[in-house]
Amino acid sequence: MTHLPACLRPIACVPLPVVLLLVLLFLLPGSAPGQDAASELFEADPERTLPWWWFFAPLSAFLALFSAFLFYRSIMKQSEGNERMKEIASYVREGAYAYLRRQYYVVGIFFAVVFVLLLLISLGLHVQHYLVAFAFLTGGFFSGLAGFFGMKTATSSAARTARAAEQSLDSGLRVAFRAGSVMGLTVVGLALLDNTMWFFYLYMVHHHLLGVEPMNLETIAMVMLCFGIGASSQALFARVGGGIFTKAADVGADLVGKVEAGIPEDDPRNPATIADNVGDNVGDVAGMGADLYESYSGAILASSALGVAAAAGMGLGVNEVFSYMVAPALLAAVGIAASVIGIMTVRGREDATMGALLKSLDRGIHVASALVIIGAIGVVWALGLPWSVLFAIIIGLVLGILIGKGTERATAAEYRPTRNIAEQSSTGPATLIIAGIAEGMLSVWIPILAVCGGMLLAFGISGGFTDVLPGLYGIGIAAVGMLSTLGLTLATDAYGPVSDNAGGIAEMADMPKHVRERTDMLDALGNTTAAIGKGFAIGSAALTALALLASYVEAVRVGMHRETAAAYVTPAEDRPYAVHDLGYGKFGIYIPGSDGVADHNKLYTFSAIETRNQHSRRMEVTDGPRSGETVDLVIAEMGNRARMAEISDIDGTMLAEYRATLKDFMYFYDITLTNPRVLVGVFLGVLMVFMFSSLTMMAVGRAASSMVNEVRRQFREKTGIMLGTEKPDYERCVAISTAGAQREMVLPSVLALSVPILTGLLLDVGGVMGLLVGTLTAGFAVAVFMANSGGAWDNAKKYVEAGNLGGKGSDAHKATVVGDTVGDPFKDTSGPSLNILIKLTSIVSIVVAGLVVKYSPTISQFLGMG
Amino acid sequence: MDMRLYLICNRFEALVASQLCPEDFGAYLATGPLRQTTGEGEVLFIEIDQDKVGEPFDLEWARRHCVPHSDGSPKRSKYLSIYRVLEHIPMEAYGTLHMTTRDGRVLGVDHTDKPIPANGGTPANMYMELSPIKPLVVSCLQPAEFIQLLTDFSNPIHVPKLFMADMLVDTEPDGHLAAYLPYPNREHIEDCLRQVTSKGGKATKIVNRNPARGGFFRTIRRGFFLGDQTQVLYYPFPDKDTLDEYHHKWWRSASLGW
Repeated sequence: MTHLPACLRPIACVPLPVVLLLVLLFLLPGSAPGQDAASELFEADPERTLPWWWFFAPLSAFLALFSAFLFYRSIMKQSEGNERMKEIASYVREGAYAYLRRQYYVVGIFFAVVFVLLLLISLGLHVQHYLVAFAFLTGGFFSGLAGFFGMKTATSSAARTARAAEQSLDSGLRVAFRAGSVMGLTVVGLALLDNTMWFFYLYMVHHHLLGVEPMNLETIAMVMLCFGIGASSQALFARVGGGIFTKAADVGADLVGKVEAGIPEDDPRNPATIADNVGDNVGDVAGMGADLYESYSGAILASSALGVAAAAGMGLGVNEVFSYMVAPALLAAVGIAASVIGIMTVRGREDATMGALLKSLDRGIHVASALVIIGAIGVVWALGLPWSVLFAIIIGLVLGILIGKGTERATAAEYRPTRNIAEQSSTGPATLIIAGIAEGMLSVWIPILAVCGGMLLAFGISGGFTDVLPGLYGIGIAAVGMLSTLGLTLATDAYGPVSDNAGGIAEMADMPKHVRERTDMLDALGNTTAAIGKGFAIGSAALTALALLASYVEAVRVGMHRETAAAYVTPAEDRPYAVHDLGYGKFGIYIPGSDGVADHNKLYTFSAIETRNQHSRRMEVTDGPRSGETVDLVIAEMGNRARMAEISDIDGTMLAEYRATLKDFMYFYDITLTNPRVLVGVFLGVLMVFMFSSLTMMAVGRAASSMVNEVRRQFREKTGIMLGTEKPDYERCVAISTAGAQREMVLPSVLALSVPILTGLLLDVGGVMGLLVGTLTAGFAVAVFMANSGGAWDNAKKYVEAGNLGGKGSDAHKATVVGDTVGDPFKDTSGPSLNILIKLTSIVSIVVAGLVVKYSPTISQFLGMG
Repeated sequence: MDMRLYLICNRFEALVASQLCPEDFGAYLATGPLRQTTGEGEVLFIEIDQDKVGEPFDLEWARRHCVPHSDGSPKRSKYLSIYRVLEHIPMEAYGTLHMTTRDGRVLGVDHTDKPIPANGGTPANMYMELSPIKPLVVSCLQPAEFIQLLTDFSNPIHVPKLFMADMLVDTEPDGHLAAYLPYPNREHIEDCLRQVTSKGGKATKIVNRNPARGGFFRTIRRGFFLGDQTQVLYYPFPDKDTLDEYHHKWWRSASLGW
């Protein structure tokens, strides 16, 4: 490659399979954008083709995975250092694997149970598509796989980073950052692969394979929206379990090792020090990765669903509907390519300062963001989408940067809030805690106003103030824009624990001073990026949850349709349709001959709801309790095929025009602030945020107590540990943290999964909407507050340790250590876990929407609630 | 296994016979006999030359009792004397000073004949008296002068010998104590400093009769001093670069801040 001109070398680096795939794409039969590529979407002919540009999405997924593989291979080629370094690295690696084994065992049982439940509600109760159960498995599997690869790379890279730092700062930075990149690229690669793989199957293969009617885009979009449940469930365990593990180990290691025994950080005599290092990876690699996998996947799926609803609602043609649907995945694909290039630009000079290293990372993010904008221009132009989509992308990118900067301002010691907290340490821990809570609460204004502003802008610019659905699509696209460079931003997050562990190995292996100085510098950079990453994770979770919330009504629409289709009534021979009263204001309208093949009746069936007169069409009920009556109906049709059925007798041609809007659903379910169901739902959402935070925090307390007792026991019984003549039992500490994490995460997980279902069944759709609003708003605010308070306490301690306000050993230092310990579960357990809660509540609600739609009215009536 | 003599000279005075080397003895003192995590904190002890220690101590008795345990492990400690020990050991018997951190890491420094360096331009000095009395004082006197004053029998306030540390007392241009100094009650220290530096002021002023020792090792300035009317031994404290470069593990533990 050396004989090539410099400008051509990057092209030469493009792997051969990628080139072959590109060539193949251009040879594939298909049509160019704007052509009638998807014209047959609503035809009965199942022979479909995909436009060539669609393949850019799976290609990018492969590109991400292939780049991750190359990075992994280049890391593994590096030396892991001397025997001591290898030994320490192996302890951390074994500990991480032990944790993952246990975690996957528990998750495996959970997934098996939920898989059966999903099959039950789909095949038994007919309120969900049966493929959701299978997609649940793949989503969870890919998310778990990303976590495994991330952990494997991170734990294999720490010693190599320390070894590389022996040569130069740049070498150390490159190994650590590339290790983070493996996680980032694996997450986006697998998430997009899962997404595109399922789309390909549902759109191209499913009907051939099972001999059923081809699914239309709306059905595909809504089925795929539910696929997020797998990634969400995996994220729940990874984030909550990981958060409990990491802080139990950290607090245990600090309280006994540092405070009681006077052992410094990363001292191999501390039995919990390996668990602490494992915890860094478990929390900030696997946990953060699963969290952002969920956001990434959720944002794409929700935007796709909203895109289909918006395009169909605007009466656009099938091509446009297709474009609206696949645009989020294509924008994500652009983001992947941009991220790979951005990663390549991150380099550090030997004489680099902290500021210079941070600038290097910033440069990567800015390059990637700029490339995403350029790529988005291409996507918007090629797909013929409105330019508002581009602006929504830019809004999302700016939001990500704003929230990150807001987090930095709230937590970095260079800024006033953290200095204020640190100064309060001179009057003791109590005032320091008060200041930390107050500053954390105050810091919420930046991300909340940024999200509010971004939401209004994306909504407005996409025409939301005249038509709600395109506006909501704009919000979804903003979430996709924010997450488009996830491959890179997650790399900066996952880089943190690698450099932190590298510093630990440099200490434990007695590496020379210049190596320790370099790893310290890399570690300090990791601390800064980790804080920004936490803000980014919360912001993206909020925006994703917002998109999911908007999609919930679409899920209700589908749920209603499934209920209707399941209650099929054959029309009388002399009637062009049958109208069946399902009760509670819901009706089914059935077209003759639609009870044939599987899925056929769903496509030729309409669900209908009573609504306001100005939208209504009068129809006669032919079956059910109100048989013979004439009722006001509005069609909530799912089957666009019905338009082709020419059922003019029932105003079928007008169905698309008068299909139920979001406002109609709001009216039907009385989703107003005067409805106590909605208000109770809001309160329950807020309650859930606090309950969840409390449970996770108490879990850390209990798990940390176990760790403290274990470390004390080892010091007591293994008398040679302190003298360095006896090896501590590191595995036991890892096992205690693992067992504690698995045990303690059960209750919060059950809460997070069960409350949306129970709320839906008891308080109907209105209650769920209230619950989602309450969880999202309170969860977002509390998550930011906790992350920022915890981060600020941590940095206030570091500020004092740097020699301010008396430095180490002063009363101020002792106060900041108390603050840091309090802040540990804030910023690394409860705060991040709320990211999961707000998304999981939405996705669970979406998946069980059909159940709620079908059974909630009956339960409400039974309880005397109307 | 030879017997060694150590003088524990902070927190309490004791002359101890032991078969442990200084590193193990320090670790033993710091982390306790059962290696429990709640040790006694940082410990200072000085190796004593058995040939020069003199009459007051029954070394024969010590040699008879300081023998390996039945399992062959060395005798960790046999106390010879626990009261007014410092004053009875002749100056020529004092050897290496060992500084032990809370987690049992030990760093030894030898006394030197090199001149005591200047105090870095600070207006006064602060001394942590370690044995036999333990107040924290500020003084305009240099270490040797201070020890002379405190061991002067004509002075009603005196001790036979004094072991003390010279502490950092750097000030900012505005006269306040430097921000990195961990001392509590900073205003009081500043007030005491003003009293000993003002014209016609006192030569010495007690800051605290029972001072806390937060971040003790990292607040040592020039080092430790042990002396009487006849002689002052100076144990220089290594500078931070040397500590970080050559004694990194000790320095990490010593500067932990607990």
